[in-house]
Amino acid sequence: MIEHLLTPFHYEYMVKAILVSGFIGGVCALLSCFVTLKGWSLMGDALSHAVVPGVSISYLLGLPFALGAFVSGMLAALAMGFIKSRTRIREDATIGIVFTTFFAAGVLLISLYPSNISLKTIVFGNILGIANADIVQTLIISGITLVVLALKWKDLLLFAFDPNQARAIGLNTTLLHLTLLTLLAATAVAALQAVGACLVVAMLVTPGATAYLLTDRFGRMMVIASVMGVLTSVTGAYGSYFLNGSTGGCIVVLQAGIFLLALAFAPKHGIVASRIRARSSAAARSGPDAATTLVTEATR
Amino acid sequence: MSDLNLTVRGVTVAYANGHVALRDASFKLNPGTICALVGVNGSGKSTLFKAIMGFVRPMRGTVRIGGEPVRAAHKRNWVAYVPQSEDVDWAFPVSVWDVVLMGRYGYMNLLRMPRRHDKEIASRSLDRVQMLDFKDRQIGELSGGQKKRVFLARALAQKGRLMLLDEPFTGVDVKTEAAIIDLLRELRDEGHIVLVSTHDLGSVPEFCDECVIINRTVLAAGPTATTFTEANLTQAFGGALRNVRFDHTDTPGARANEFHVLTDDEGALVFDQDGRPARVHGRQPSDEGPR
Repeated sequence: MIEHLLTPFHYEYMVKAILVSGFIGGVCALLSCFVTLKGWSLMGDALSHAVVPGVSISYLLGLPFALGAFVSGMLAALAMGFIKSRTRIREDATIGIVFTTFFAAGVLLISLYPSNISLKTIVFGNILGIANADIVQTLIISGITLVVLALKWKDLLLFAFDPNQARAIGLNTTLLHLTLLTLLAATAVAALQAVGACLVVAMLVTPGATAYLLTDRFGRMMVIASVMGVLTSVTGAYGSYFLNGSTGGCIVVLQAGIFLLALAFAPKHGIVASRIRARSSAAARSGPDAATTLVTEATR
Repeated sequence: MSDLNLTVRGVTVAYANGHVALRDASFKLNPGTICALVGVNGSGKSTLFKAIMGFVRPMRGTVRIGGEPVRAAHKRNWVAYVPQSEDVDWAFPVSVWDVVLMGRYGYMNLLRMPRRHDKEIASRSLDRVQMLDFKDRQIGELSGGQKKRVFLARALAQKGRLMLLDEPFTGVDVKTEAAIIDLLRELRDEGHIVLVSTHDLGSVPEFCDECVIINRTVLAAGPTATTFTEANLTQAFGGALRNVRFDHTDTPGARANEFHVLTDDEGALVFDQDGRPARVHGRQPSDEGPR
């Protein structure tokens, strides 16, 4: 039995997949705390799709995939910023237009100029077949993100919470905005290998959103999210061996499962807890002045 | 140290869409002043605030704080800011203590690690607004007045010498309002400049030494006694103010008992002796309500 459970570790590609997924999962989860609080989830989705043309061009030209992906992600972000500031079109429409345009351009490029990368790999990821060079790129990107977050998380937190105050104490908010955007694009690129363009946004949102349901302190939120990110990614990659299914699918389904548990049973912000709270406060009110309560309710 | 003043000279702000929100605004404030910034919604109040905060760059004109440009003044932590309650995400996972420490960020190292000195100042600031007991609460778990006081404590912790308060009295009970006013007076006596954006007209003469009345430009600026007059306010607010006159008479010499109530967004409810809502004489057509 134990022998059976340990089989994935006999294969080098499985060990690599498990370790790389875990690392990416942790970094994405850390960043997801900022993404959810800043309200940038849609932006994360957009960036992760917008990197696709960059990836295909990189492979065509033989450049590192991360470079092309990053450039095309940033171009998309710039395009969104430009349209938003110069026109009356609302942000969600802007994001919708820009990211589908980029994604479509990528799909078109890949179909017109077939190279050794398939559309399926970009869209759904292929952590089991990841090349060593790609692992290095992924680790460098995640590593830099981790260092920047470790050094600047307090500034980024203030920027997310109260940009006016950040400005008032002399922080460069434009730089902080760009930093967060860059980190988002960079981790989207890194996570591309693990779960693919379609599911990247789950890694960049779900852990943060889950942790937000479970705590009222940002420090704890980062801990909960990153533990969840690492564990689900490692377990997902490991489990995909036995299921013989998609690694990205396993990871994201696991994260969604934990999110649902938190949604239902979180001690304070969960649905069950709110229900109980509402019921007990209603019970407290229906004491001596139940009649008055009823009257006020009725007149409302 | 103490002779920090605020000079706004000829400031014109236009937004990207071409809308000119503020034209040629000028006024000057000296240390030890509480000044009210008064005007209707859309009069350029918040634009002027943003110009002083450095959020919008004036097309023409300058803002100088203690003789320095806005950015330099911010770097020196001279400008402390108390946001409007609607501008704060109260569900954000930070505690009262976290928020007050944010006021000290400008003094901390690049990793923003608080030293003992920072923590002492933060707890003293919280104590000064009687919120020390609540320091571990998440900010959403506070009443309206308590929320306001937390952000006041943050401004205190920052030791800014120009305090900008955006609508400090909305959603605040009368007791907290009095406490805030007391605190602002203390700050004035310590030599700070306190600039309060407000549409709570009634409180202005009570605690503001000076006022700046704006409507797309500075209509009047100066000591409250000579500037905060019915004529200036009527000019600034136009039809947006309700003008309620009591004991009004046209007989010259018989106006000893007459007084006027000016009130903006919310209409004043006036009762007669029997507790019935009074129909006030002298209503003007525009009194039917701006909204």
